Amino acid sequence: MRSVLVLAGKDLRNLFHSPLFYGIAGLCSIVWSGLFFAALYDFAQASAMSAMQGQGEGASLHFVVFARHISLVNLFMIFAVSAMSMRLFSDEKRNQTMALLLTSPVTATQITLGKFLAGLIAAWALVALSFLYPASLRAFASFDWGPLVASYIGLFLITGCYVTIGMFASSLTENTVLSVVMSLIFNVMLWFVGAFSDSAHDPVLDKIFAQLNVGSHFVNFIKGTISISSLTFFVSVIVLMTFLTQRVVESNRWR
Amino acid sequence: MIEGQTKFATRNYKMDMIEVTGLVKSYGPIQAVKDIQFRVKKGEVVGFLGPNGAGKSTTMKIITGSMAPSGGSVRVAGFDVFEEPIEVKKRIGYLPENPPVYGEMTVDSYLRFVAKLKGISGDRVSRQVEKSIEKTDLGSVRKRLIQNLSKGFRQRVGIAQALVSDPEVLILDEPTSGLDPRQVAEVRALIQELKGEHTIILSTHILPEVQTMCERIIIINRGRIVAEDSLEGLSNRMAGSSHVRIRVSRPGAAIEQMLKNVTGVTAVTNVDGGYNVQLVGSDGAVEALAESVVQSKAGLLELKREVVDLEEIFLKLTTSEESQTPGGVA
Repeated sequence: MRSVLVLAGKDLRNLFHSPLFYGIAGLCSIVWSGLFFAALYDFAQASAMSAMQGQGEGASLHFVVFARHISLVNLFMIFAVSAMSMRLFSDEKRNQTMALLLTSPVTATQITLGKFLAGLIAAWALVALSFLYPASLRAFASFDWGPLVASYIGLFLITGCYVTIGMFASSLTENTVLSVVMSLIFNVMLWFVGAFSDSAHDPVLDKIFAQLNVGSHFVNFIKGTISISSLTFFVSVIVLMTFLTQRVVESNRWR
Repeated sequence: MIEGQTKFATRNYKMDMIEVTGLVKSYGPIQAVKDIQFRVKKGEVVGFLGPNGAGKSTTMKIITGSMAPSGGSVRVAGFDVFEEPIEVKKRIGYLPENPPVYGEMTVDSYLRFVAKLKGISGDRVSRQVEKSIEKTDLGSVRKRLIQNLSKGFRQRVGIAQALVSDPEVLILDEPTSGLDPRQVAEVRALIQELKGEHTIILSTHILPEVQTMCERIIIINRGRIVAEDSLEGLSNRMAGSSHVRIRVSRPGAAIEQMLKNVTGVTAVTNVDGGYNVQLVGSDGAVEALAESVVQSKAGLLELKREVVDLEEIFLKLTTSEESQTPGGVA
């Protein structure tokens, strides 16, 4: 455990000492601010309209503003996490520091978990940043925390998936550009597996693809429901990708 | 049962620290290492010598456990590298060809990280870092980012990194490559200091380096060990042919002819007003030669027996190996 923390600490420290993280966080917050404001403005107009027409409360803050914000954050995380996780293994290989890790008294599992932890903390820091937008609204409006928290649990989980996918891509190559591209492709693939659920024309396959549909699992969280099957799905992806990365790291020893 | 034996072996002072048997490594159809076998005793300094691409780095990587061999076994301090890699890695400090440093870290924080990674307990980290900084004389740059350091300093950081866990075995892959002559001298002096405390294997393709630093030399060529002995041993092995340099006050064709007629002399060349004589046999042959020169009354000024240097041994061994295996692996 100590080795895992030592490894994660080193990566986090180097990430937080580099301009990369702040560049990404800065760019994200600029875009999120603009679009969050736009969504809020739309919502304000829509509710003013419905109030005037005497149709009661009108649209829900959660679905008009928060859900839009969360989908946007999700979209940004696909790119941001790919850019941050490319460093995890590719940099070590390029700098030839992988030799140091491989000759230190740590196992491939510990190396992988350390990297995963570092990537996860960095990505979650960004997600936490995005949480400030809806949370700050609490000063002006009363809303139910429940669906928002559920949505963020979903966001944290799906970000975890991006981290492990990025880490896996990074473990495959020492070329950072290639690692980013692979990570993006894998992330997008993750989103499109579910699209087959209508085209397989086979009841069993349709069901399997439906279960692999990231979109529908994620929508569950946004709706405010934390279902066991969605939870299991995300955790399975994380465990599977971490396991694959561990195998790649371990293979350095016998290749 | 075997477990118990190996544990006992580590406590045995006179044991072999490193034991390599039948090591084979192939990269696809190319065999980089073919049946390498050697032992290193505790506290010994062994030089790994060979031309570029001879398989030195591969062998070292296998010993450190960062690469698996295609066959054979390696034991360090009685632990098998593949059965108990963690135990082995705790005992090894390794400097790869390129120092494994993170440019964005300072020397201090980097060494602290490595110390922790090597499993040094919290309260000993600072002490070990101080010790290795002192040994490698890095005090003046400890707060600087490694990416801003010169190649020589980086190499020293690499050595400090290998030392920081105070390992029993040090494996240094070309520790002086890319350094300027003054830095080379410093690194050599450092390795001299480390002698005795650690068991050291160092590789190089620079001959004087092993000559000054190592007690034993393993010459490796095309993935095979072609010679393994102490420096004196290797020289003696080559003693079959001696070189003698003779200078006389009255040189001439007659003298040259006389030299050629001495039994055992195979070649005489006239260089810089003196003669380089090559002869078969050792002491006796040289004695006979000296006597003939004195008797010739040519006015002997100098008669110097030249020690066969490592360079010659090396060239001879590595080239004869090549001629033995024509059309071998390119």
